[in-house]
Amino acid sequence: MEHIYATVVFLGVLLFLLGSGIWVGFSLIGVAFTGMMLFAPGTFGQIGDRMMTVIWSSSASWTLTALPLFIWMGEILFRTRLSEDLFKGLSPWMNRLPGRLLHTNIIGCTIFAAISGSSAATVATVGKMSIPELRARKYPEDLVIGTLSGAGTLGLLIPPSIILIVYGVTVNQSISKLFIAGVVPGIVLASLFMAYVMGWSLLRPSRMPPAEPRRPFREKLGQSLYLIPVLLLIAGVLGSIYGGLATATEAAVFGVVGALGLSAIQGSLSWETFRESLLGATRTSAMIALILAGAAFLTLAMGFTGLPRGLAAWIAGFELSKYELILALTIFYILLGCFLDGISAVVLTMAIVEPMILQAGIDLIWFGIFLVVVVEMAQITPPIGFNLFVLQGMTGHNIGYVAKVSLPLFLVMVLAVFLIVVFPDIVMFLPDSMARSAG
Amino acid sequence: MADFILDYGPLAAVFAAGGFALAAALAPAAARAAAGLYRICGLIGACFLILIGLLILLEIGSRVAAVYVPGLKAYAGYSMAASAFFAFAYTFGHRAHIRMSAIIGRLTGRARRVAEIWCLAAASFVTGFVCWYAVKLVAVSWDLEEVSESTDRMLLWIPQTALALGATVLFICVLHRFVDVLRGAEIGDQRSADAMATVE
Repeated sequence: MEHIYATVVFLGVLLFLLGSGIWVGFSLIGVAFTGMMLFAPGTFGQIGDRMMTVIWSSSASWTLTALPLFIWMGEILFRTRLSEDLFKGLSPWMNRLPGRLLHTNIIGCTIFAAISGSSAATVATVGKMSIPELRARKYPEDLVIGTLSGAGTLGLLIPPSIILIVYGVTVNQSISKLFIAGVVPGIVLASLFMAYVMGWSLLRPSRMPPAEPRRPFREKLGQSLYLIPVLLLIAGVLGSIYGGLATATEAAVFGVVGALGLSAIQGSLSWETFRESLLGATRTSAMIALILAGAAFLTLAMGFTGLPRGLAAWIAGFELSKYELILALTIFYILLGCFLDGISAVVLTMAIVEPMILQAGIDLIWFGIFLVVVVEMAQITPPIGFNLFVLQGMTGHNIGYVAKVSLPLFLVMVLAVFLIVVFPDIVMFLPDSMARSAG
Repeated sequence: MADFILDYGPLAAVFAAGGFALAAALAPAAARAAAGLYRICGLIGACFLILIGLLILLEIGSRVAAVYVPGLKAYAGYSMAASAFFAFAYTFGHRAHIRMSAIIGRLTGRARRVAEIWCLAAASFVTGFVCWYAVKLVAVSWDLEEVSESTDRMLLWIPQTALALGATVLFICVLHRFVDVLRGAEIGDQRSADAMATVE
């Protein structure tokens, strides 16, 4: 009974503060403060002291340092000539596939996802070049935008992924393992997207523009030459984590150094771009740090009420099968994602959801990947979908149109979630075979 | 002396910060000083970000060279907290802190202004509260001479000072904005595209 009261209070205050537009980090602190006043023994002053203790210990965190570094790496590469190189380097190879250059969107997003942890940056970088080029060649507009919006979500799944770092810090799991676990599902998802494009274009050949003139192999290779350093950087960052040579944080530093080197060689590194990338990274990581600080306090406050354990026991009382629980959580997160960005959705719910899934015997690494794919799906559902906003800004279409053309890709992602649930080894195979991490 | 600081220091900090925020909202000269303060703190946050990278490079180097340097991971952690806290106000100024705009994004005119005032009032309360206890955290650590439990054995009030300074500047910035909006400042569009391009 007491749990129902606590749940209603927490949920009510949270919805009110968040819904009225208060910044997410401040809302979390506000809810936690209210909860402590109502349910925890102690005075105003003791609440403040406890709050600062958890905020300090969650903010001064070694694990968290991977976050600003990977964000910075993405910010540096975002400001290079990469978007041009991706299109020019990939397009000659896609000509023979059904769906032709549309695949540059998907593979371009996959590659950029592997150097950036953010899906909006992925969409923006790849789309900057591919949208005008594909439009000029008269590719069907709905597929140009749909594939970009769908494949852009890979930025969340394919490491380095900001949201996986946030998840790993929140539930105290190895970020290296999470990163490695994201690789195969990311490739599976990209392949599914490509299969969809191939199927679509085989069924409607009349809507596809003619192939480009064939070019000799050497010329194709010459155009892709610029991509090699980027691919080496990806291989270096991921390989050092998988091989146990470096922790995620150490690999992030290599990534930053490599990205700076790459942009220096390309000639796009100037004082201006360096400063902009650094300040951009500082802002984004401060934004996330504020949410994490608020979430740490909220977790403490909820701990005082015993709410997470109570809810986990309550859910256990239904004796849902593992699959039923996962189905319920999928729907829950997609709905939540309609109103909240992915990172907030994750930190907000994990204090409650973690005991539930542990009780159901679900692996936390597997759950992290599952969660990210589901949150990805929310990125392309209205009304709040960051990829939709970015594409709306880039293409001039209204958000309803962008959401409509993204829908088939959304369904492809539903299939991917299904595959991950039925064949959990897609996720667990690589991390299980990983060398022991260096630290 | 120590008791006096412990009892009144944190509250005095909150009042001083509040006074400065009021001045910044009322006097152009103070407003310029405040804008400079937010910007400089943002730059300090950026420098701490670079410092994180350097510390980790040093950590890798020391591991490769098999030389033991104590406390590098702890220093990187402190830099993480310092980078974030110093940059909070600057980030707030760039409207890069995330908020749910589904409802307020649809409001216009007077309703929008009332909503914004409510949000800023609540934010001022929260940041004021955090500022108060962040300063108190430093004062207590300083009084008890608390030492880090990690290998760095650092006196904790030193890295915690960054936290208190950042929290104070954030409070100033939010309160400054609150008074500005109360006095009729433009609210502007919160769904700023540049914040989103780098987020998520």
